[in-house]
Amino acid sequence: MNDPRAKEPRNHGPQVGRSVPRKETHAKLTGTAAYVHHLVLPGMLHGKVARSRVAHARIRGIDTRAASALEGVYRVLTAADVGKLIPDPHYGPAFHDQPILAIDKVRFAGEPVALVLAYDPHVAQAAAALIEVDYEPLPAVYDEVEAMTSKAVVHEVLKPAGTFPDLKHLAGKRDTNIALDYHLERGDPAKAFAQAAHVFEHTFKTQQVLHLPLEPFVSLADPADERLTIHTASQSPSFVRIEIARLLGWPENRVRVQVPFLGGGFGAKLYIKLEALVAAAALIVRRPVKIALTMEEQFYTITKHAATLRIKSGVDSAGRIVARECEVWWNGGAYADIGPRVTQKSGFTAPGPYDIDNVSIASYALYTNLPPAGALRGFGIPQLVWAYESQADMIARAIGMDPLEFRRKNILREGRPQATGTPMRDAAIGQVLERLAQRMQWQAPFDRGSGTVRRGRGMAIGFKASISPTTSVAIVNVSADGSCHLLCSTVDMGQASDTAMAQIAAEVLGMPAERIAVVHPDTDVTPYDMATLGSRSTYHMGHAVKRAAEDARDKLLALAGELGVPPETTPIPDLFKKKYGMQAGNVIGMGSFVPAYAPTDHATGQSSNVTPYWMIGATGVEIEVDTETGVVTVTRMINVADAGKAINPAVVDTQLSGAAIMQLGFTLTEQMHFSEGQVTNPSLADYKIPGMLDLPAVIENEAVEANEQAGPFGAKGVGESGTFGVSPAIANAIEDAVGVRLTSLPITAEAVYRALRKAAGRPLDDE
Amino acid sequence: MKTIRFELNGEPVTAQVEPHHNVVELLQTMGLRGARESCGQGLCGCCTVLVDGLAVSGCLYFAAQLDGARVDTIERTEREGELDVVQQAFAECGAFQCGFCTPGFVLMTRQLLAHNPAPSEDEIRHYLSGNLCRCATYPEIIRAVQLAARIRKAGA
Amino acid sequence: MRPFELLEPSSLREALGLLDTADETVRPAGGGTALMLMMKAGVLEPSRLISLRRIEPAWAEISQSADAVEIGALATLSAIEHSGIVRSELPVIARTLRTLANVRVRNVATLGGNLAHADPHMDLPPVLIALGASVIIASRGAERELPVAELISGYYETTLASGELIVRVRVPKQFARFSAYRKITTRSADDWPALGVAVALDREGPVLREARIAVSAAFDRPLRLAAAEAVLRGASIDDEAVLIHAGDAAADEARPIADERGSAAYKRELIRVHVRRALRDALDAQGGTP
Repeated sequence: MNDPRAKEPRNHGPQVGRSVPRKETHAKLTGTAAYVHHLVLPGMLHGKVARSRVAHARIRGIDTRAASALEGVYRVLTAADVGKLIPDPHYGPAFHDQPILAIDKVRFAGEPVALVLAYDPHVAQAAAALIEVDYEPLPAVYDEVEAMTSKAVVHEVLKPAGTFPDLKHLAGKRDTNIALDYHLERGDPAKAFAQAAHVFEHTFKTQQVLHLPLEPFVSLADPADERLTIHTASQSPSFVRIEIARLLGWPENRVRVQVPFLGGGFGAKLYIKLEALVAAAALIVRRPVKIALTMEEQFYTITKHAATLRIKSGVDSAGRIVARECEVWWNGGAYADIGPRVTQKSGFTAPGPYDIDNVSIASYALYTNLPPAGALRGFGIPQLVWAYESQADMIARAIGMDPLEFRRKNILREGRPQATGTPMRDAAIGQVLERLAQRMQWQAPFDRGSGTVRRGRGMAIGFKASISPTTSVAIVNVSADGSCHLLCSTVDMGQASDTAMAQIAAEVLGMPAERIAVVHPDTDVTPYDMATLGSRSTYHMGHAVKRAAEDARDKLLALAGELGVPPETTPIPDLFKKKYGMQAGNVIGMGSFVPAYAPTDHATGQSSNVTPYWMIGATGVEIEVDTETGVVTVTRMINVADAGKAINPAVVDTQLSGAAIMQLGFTLTEQMHFSEGQVTNPSLADYKIPGMLDLPAVIENEAVEANEQAGPFGAKGVGESGTFGVSPAIANAIEDAVGVRLTSLPITAEAVYRALRKAAGRPLDDE
Repeated sequence: MKTIRFELNGEPVTAQVEPHHNVVELLQTMGLRGARESCGQGLCGCCTVLVDGLAVSGCLYFAAQLDGARVDTIERTEREGELDVVQQAFAECGAFQCGFCTPGFVLMTRQLLAHNPAPSEDEIRHYLSGNLCRCATYPEIIRAVQLAARIRKAGA
Repeated sequence: MRPFELLEPSSLREALGLLDTADETVRPAGGGTALMLMMKAGVLEPSRLISLRRIEPAWAEISQSADAVEIGALATLSAIEHSGIVRSELPVIARTLRTLANVRVRNVATLGGNLAHADPHMDLPPVLIALGASVIIASRGAERELPVAELISGYYETTLASGELIVRVRVPKQFARFSAYRKITTRSADDWPALGVAVALDREGPVLREARIAVSAAFDRPLRLAAAEAVLRGASIDDEAVLIHAGDAAADEARPIADERGSAAYKRELIRVHVRRALRDALDAQGGTP
């Protein structure tokens, strides 16, 4: 996307490190930006999904007669219809476990059972409500810990996708809900626990929440010309193409995936969501089909893992953590989605950013009869940080050490091995911690409030590895007038990747970022990218873009040499004119990137190179607690991160506070409620995300002065770092203010109030 | 099906509407993209349009009831070419991310400043509390509203 | 949403005629926001809606007499919020409206529709009950007046008969009466309240002559708390302990309903605290302007 109105700066200077206005500014401020939401094709049918009303059942029959008979209904589809087109219609990034429409059985309330197609979406909606399904109920399991041993089994047999080596051993495994168990062993934890001066063991819980982008899921498939074009609000166009081609048994080049702007993603719009259903429907009826979900339906599509986390720490008399044992149970819901990756890729950071010689980790991905869980802005990290940073304060308090001092004493320093054995490189953990402490004036006296309003403060720091190894490819196309196209499949869902990528290319080519037009993902045109997820784009695609721009630059220099003109001073248009005799031709640069990676050992979880870079995020809060009601008000929130060198400082700032405010919702107000597996609050009226009045009065963000040596121009990812520390910082501040410890999210006013009453020896009547 | 006549962004228009169609559905069939249905409950503000000068939720407003009304949408500025003061301030402060909620915030900010040219931060937060931004660009939006108020004052 | 017929009569008389029908799915529509939500959710599928937006503008007017403010049922919440009469005579209503739903809803939703909807989470019913307001109800050829307290009979239920329409709300001027409303949300600020507490206090010098306490959201409909009111009758306004006793009495007599916003036991504690705080607010505000 390029903004033709953007004025180029006269003396453009360096492009990296400049707060370039977003390229889509004009389009977004005037409402003209393109989203799939708006797309209409001639002859298009609207699809509305009929969903399961029970959590776990065998399907005895589906009666579509009333729906089909409704005036205006074009067609009603069930799994039987899909099966004629796609013999094995199961998809998923880690397991091929999710059917396009339920086959023989439903595994969660809200699962798609049938699809109604009509020219009028109101008709399709009305008809979907007329579909009757005869269910034979099955015992269901909802809790992740119970799922370990439950007699209720969600999937009879495990079907790993085969693309991940560490899942292969699970193929064909029966009668288990454990989709993946990941283990890490380092040192001799048993011995170290025996010798520790203090041993602490706590269990923490997080709740199921969801992404809730304001543009709900939407996909449109067009089966024209013996191929299939899918317009979709997706963070992973390349994956969609590959997976749809696999399902259809087609070559990749018969499937075209186009993605304009996304109205938010946060990890929801990854892998396959509506694309397989819309593709199957369009091919069956030979017409364009659009499915646009409602806000309610997002609750049945993808969520964030609820988790139970047990963490046991041995500490010596000097306050050093000498051993840690972590057990994590991830509630993955009815389909694995990317849960097994969360289990492993986040699981290995469960001991926190601490230097601990003896570590044991077990991390389990579990199937339950709830809506599926995937990746949400942090890939499991916020759940882990919730546990280990809550416990950090609990330990410090118990041994009489200042929480900042305890962290200082234990954090991983540069070059020290992380639990996997991979040495820490360019991970500014200490620097982030110190900047946070300085901004909080940690050593200064603090007003603790009085009467019924008590004040407290807390901090927390977390870290994350990048998902590795993953590939990005980019193309830079220089036109004869010297303007430039950048082709890459990174999806701009609000994180300003178009602008950042243009800045990287511009830096190499010595031109202002405004001169570079970014072509939005179109798999016929833009090259492969693994996906826009996990704060990977700046580093991975950034590298690919840098290489593509360098390739183009080198070709321009070679062209100058060939033409015998001064390479550094000849304007680009003059090169083309001299070469072709007129304004004609292109110079095309290509770049691709995949980082080095050493796989983890299956038994010990050890690896010499588990990630190309580390992301560090810390949050400090000041809060007030109303002791008569338990209401917690965050009055000040400070977010500090290591983003390497910021490509666009203004955008980095916005990413930090945006992530932190989102996590504030996951900490205080957001929770999916269930009754027998059915979501009981599937709307913005009953599921409460933060609004303007919920913000802390003061929010400060800082990206520390840092440099990722292996990153493009020293940069690395930052989209998730703001989420890491928020929840435990608030729980730590609550204990600081009123002396009670909350170990489950969300921290509702009622939970705080109940804890206060219990601590005072006067528990509420119903306890 | 009923024929309605109304003024859309300064121009007289006619449209055929069904009683159960809402304003967002109608505007989208007329090629306008700025008002979007998101929560469907009038809570998020993505569907904000002005009817007879007052902000309403297009997703909770029957299209048929636009008959005879004056309707303004975010597209009105686009037709006039230049970004207005509020949009300039949003651009300057980077007060958007995914952009899905942005037209609603811009329209509501215009309403706020028309009624209250120098709002306090508390007044800004209250007035805009019915608009949601899942990217949580709220601090930037508050700064943009304050900047727009200052530019307006300087220009007055 | 299912298709339906939308009629727009141009007079109240005509509207009342159209509402006088045996078809129980026919509904009057003021601003239509609450109706549309119910229709989208599929809980209401009317064959016909009678829109009131084109009837005589008099039914949206706000006027005053020596002892009362009269608000036409078709006045929008935003018109009421910004009305000079309301702000000077009934400032608690203007304050309450500032946090009711949002600007866009207030621009469209009408007072009559708000009351007839009878959602137990609504902010205005407890305030109007505390202020001693009544509704004037019209039907074909008849009119009656009913205290707001007797209008709402249960969860989304009113005592309105089929064919009846709220046409005006009469709120007595408050003179020496001080009032306050507290909206308590337990999740985000824009949530439906877990509790609404409205109080109105009649004072004679340093003595409370009468107190009205109306509590909403924690029950299936707004309720007066008689025991708490009794504690306050005749008490001194300088006696802080009596406010605490009133809060305790309120908590003792209330039977709140648990939901996702809080358990019954917690809501009882909220009632204890916020009845006391609302009384304090009213005494502090002394009927001040918003």
